[in-house]
Amino acid sequence: MTPQSTKTDAPRTPEVTIPPADHLVGKNCKRVDGREKVTGLAMYGADLFPQAADLFAKVVRSEEAHADIVKIDTSAALAVGGVLGVYTHADVGGTNIHGLIRRDHPALAEKRVRYRGDAIAVVVAESERSAEAARDRVHVEYSPLPVVATMEEALSDGAPRLYPEGNIMGDKRIRRGDVDAALAAAHCVVTDTFHTQTVDHAFLDVEAGTGIWDGHTLTLNAPGQWVHEERRLIALALGIPVEQVRIIQPVTGGAFGGREDISIQIYLGLAALKHPGKTIGLRYDRAESMRARHKRHALKIEYTLAADREGTLTAARITVHSDEGAYASTGIAVMRKAASHATGPYRVPAIEVDVYGVHTNNNPTGAMRGFGACQMAIAYEGMMDRLADALEMDRVALRKRNMIVPGDPVTTGQRIDNASVHECLDAALAKFNERPYPGNDGLPPHLRRGWGMSAICFGLGYGDGFPDCSRARVEINPDGGATVYTGGVEVGQGLLNTMMQIAGEELGLPFEKMHVVAADTELTDESGSSSATRQTYFTGNAVRIAASELREQILDVAGKWLNVHPHEVTLQQGWAFETANDANRVSMARLYDEGLARGYSFKATGLFKPRTVPEVHGTGQSPRAFITYLFGAHVSQVLVDIETGEVKVERHIAAHDVGKAINPQSVEGQIVGGVAQGLGMALMEEVVYKKGRILNAGFTDYIIPTIKDLPPVEAIIIEHDDPGGPFGAHGVGEPPLIGAVPAILSAIYDATGVAPDTLPVTPERMWRLLRMRDGVPVPV
Amino acid sequence: MPSALAPLPDDIPLTRITCTINGEQVVADAPVDCTLLTFLRDIVGLTGTKGACLEGECGSCTVLIDGKPVTSCLMLAGQVNGRTITTVEGLADGDALDVIQEKFVETGAAQCGYCTPGLIMSARALLNDNPSISESELLTALEGNICRCTGYASIVEAVRRAHRELKS
Ligand code: FES
Ligand code: FES
Repeated sequence: MTPQSTKTDAPRTPEVTIPPADHLVGKNCKRVDGREKVTGLAMYGADLFPQAADLFAKVVRSEEAHADIVKIDTSAALAVGGVLGVYTHADVGGTNIHGLIRRDHPALAEKRVRYRGDAIAVVVAESERSAEAARDRVHVEYSPLPVVATMEEALSDGAPRLYPEGNIMGDKRIRRGDVDAALAAAHCVVTDTFHTQTVDHAFLDVEAGTGIWDGHTLTLNAPGQWVHEERRLIALALGIPVEQVRIIQPVTGGAFGGREDISIQIYLGLAALKHPGKTIGLRYDRAESMRARHKRHALKIEYTLAADREGTLTAARITVHSDEGAYASTGIAVMRKAASHATGPYRVPAIEVDVYGVHTNNNPTGAMRGFGACQMAIAYEGMMDRLADALEMDRVALRKRNMIVPGDPVTTGQRIDNASVHECLDAALAKFNERPYPGNDGLPPHLRRGWGMSAICFGLGYGDGFPDCSRARVEINPDGGATVYTGGVEVGQGLLNTMMQIAGEELGLPFEKMHVVAADTELTDESGSSSATRQTYFTGNAVRIAASELREQILDVAGKWLNVHPHEVTLQQGWAFETANDANRVSMARLYDEGLARGYSFKATGLFKPRTVPEVHGTGQSPRAFITYLFGAHVSQVLVDIETGEVKVERHIAAHDVGKAINPQSVEGQIVGGVAQGLGMALMEEVVYKKGRILNAGFTDYIIPTIKDLPPVEAIIIEHDDPGGPFGAHGVGEPPLIGAVPAILSAIYDATGVAPDTLPVTPERMWRLLRMRDGVPVPV
Repeated sequence: MPSALAPLPDDIPLTRITCTINGEQVVADAPVDCTLLTFLRDIVGLTGTKGACLEGECGSCTVLIDGKPVTSCLMLAGQVNGRTITTVEGLADGDALDVIQEKFVETGAAQCGYCTPGLIMSARALLNDNPSISESELLTALEGNICRCTGYASIVEAVRRAHRELKS
């Protein structure tokens, strides 16, 4: 028996008809932040200037790549009109150290600078111009030390030791099977060495924000990728309790891993602590942003791959050296990711991988979209093409012969149930074959066309037993709508919509009734970083757990109101009604009052914390190195001008198994955007150093793909429910970039017969490769 | 110390700027070396126009001067005396979005959104002038605007749709 409702006077049969069910999962709900972004009203960190700032800070950076600091003379800086203070390490109250995994990076250098971007002092002034003038007048006396500019230099005999332990930051190994025996018995062995480059994230919205200390709370409006971890790092570095730090993420213009390391936050915090009650503004310009920030790791990958007569892979031996730059940053995780993805989506019975992190005096290297995994995909896919040639086998057939099927292990030994790489490659090839391949017939002699492919896998989340969890809170509002609270940060990827759509789906609410509050350490609980392709899966699950708990509360109250069992209640479009009789109904707004009167909170929280299993030290094997794996395959078609070396991508197809596309439009946006960054990495982007100095710290010389560099990318969304993901979704952020680069390189190989091994394949590099192919001398 | 020192603040005289921005007359003082971008953002307080490279390479700072698109980071504020400027804030009519803005929302062309104001202004200039535009004219008009997030497909689609709607 269901007890009678106490509200017998309420109207039971409103005239309105309940709109049909509208599933928010799988729907292209317009971005909730779209309107403010197209009207210019969205407030990014730099938009908080100058209205909100009372005082302005600037950072003094090292002019040396490697030196001891002898003396910091601030007198000329302090003499500049409007300058209120110049602060150095001596003014920092806490550890003065940050670093995402290994904390080794002084916020303000004390004795030594290790790259030409290390921060030394913070200047605070009444105007930004005064701060700039003073910044340039802080006189730092250095005692220069030898600069270690490359990994080769770092590893050479007698190289200067950058750290007491030496220049090797750490290593990571994979051991499975007997590689020596397999190589000795192999029918065919191919070997090559790949060099991937240093890449800059080049998000458009350079680091900027504000901070204020009111005597109790340090509030920072500053863009990051993991507000709760940033809060911890800031509190430790500055020596104030973590509860007294509040981070609010402003609207953020891209991240791609580039906001994972601390940037402006500690400097803002220091300035704010020194000037209580004043709002401090700090912004970098592009040159400072590039000079200060960590970069994508440049890798040297020596790869040996063996197969039997039929083309079945038998062994891989891989040695990787990774330029870690001056500090550790996320280097350990990147090394691990490189090792665990060393053989990609292929079955290789005997594997030996050794990854070494090497310190230099270049910028620290850290997180960037697809880290570790993307460089290894360039190598393993490059090797598949080389092996196919050596075996005189078809490139597709060789791949398909060796690609994992459900239940097969990847590099870590983890057996993958949802291995859909065959389907991804088939889908990409089928799309490619929908239009006839124009080939080389009729092309002028200086143009060669080719096509290539890639097949990739990607372990989602932090993996390796590293604590990885998300929390979320969902609340019903008085109007019957709901608000999602998440610590996850929106950096452009569409996280806000994803979370609103998941909660709305669970609660049967229309999208217009959904709201979201994100990335404010005061208002939201920790949801981990917006990285590792993890937010849809992790925070999406936490949101779904919270929303389904809330759904139970609603069903209970609705059941009482409607006088039916809760199982007979349908939630749809903001109404609760008896499933068999929708005239027996009540609006969510009405239910809200009813629920509160009955003592329901109409608030619920969700925690999602699945465990991964640490990889065994020395062998790198784990039954569950990552929580789930993602698969993708690309086909690319290029036209190479063999006189100029210019490569034009004519077509690009990207197929990705995303589990379930919560918002297909944002999924497609991630795929196409990832391909664009992959194209940049394949063909044009490279941070060029000379003795630790970046020669191209600006968009004039650091070249990013424009609208004319990209073909219309053909995105294919494959949906195989991931049993662990919210509504079957897993994620899509990184794989599109990982797949794009090797497919383009494969197409270049097909077009020219030369397999590029050094990135990016700029016109000059291509031209040199072609001359070498033809035995023509190449000028140095 | 860096080789080129930022000037001391008191070395920079002010100049008076008089111009029309989004239909309103603006009179304000700015340092003589102030760019139009800094003038708009920091002095007038219109932060919709973005700066990302400050060297004319990315198009984020695009505004219209007398209907023509310019990169405001490369112009001095003094150069706009007496001229008419339109920024992204000047496009919507109250709650009603400009058709280009509307299509950007519709196609998801604003991901992080930082390139969006500049792209919308470039597209506005293109569609102002041209009742019929070819695909290659479209790409050429937007070539100076960098977007790091989208891979451009949704942007092209938004401008195409806006163009179609304006034509019909
Ligand atoms: S900021 Fe003006 S073109 Fe980039
Ligand atoms: S949407 Fe982020 S730069 Fe274009």
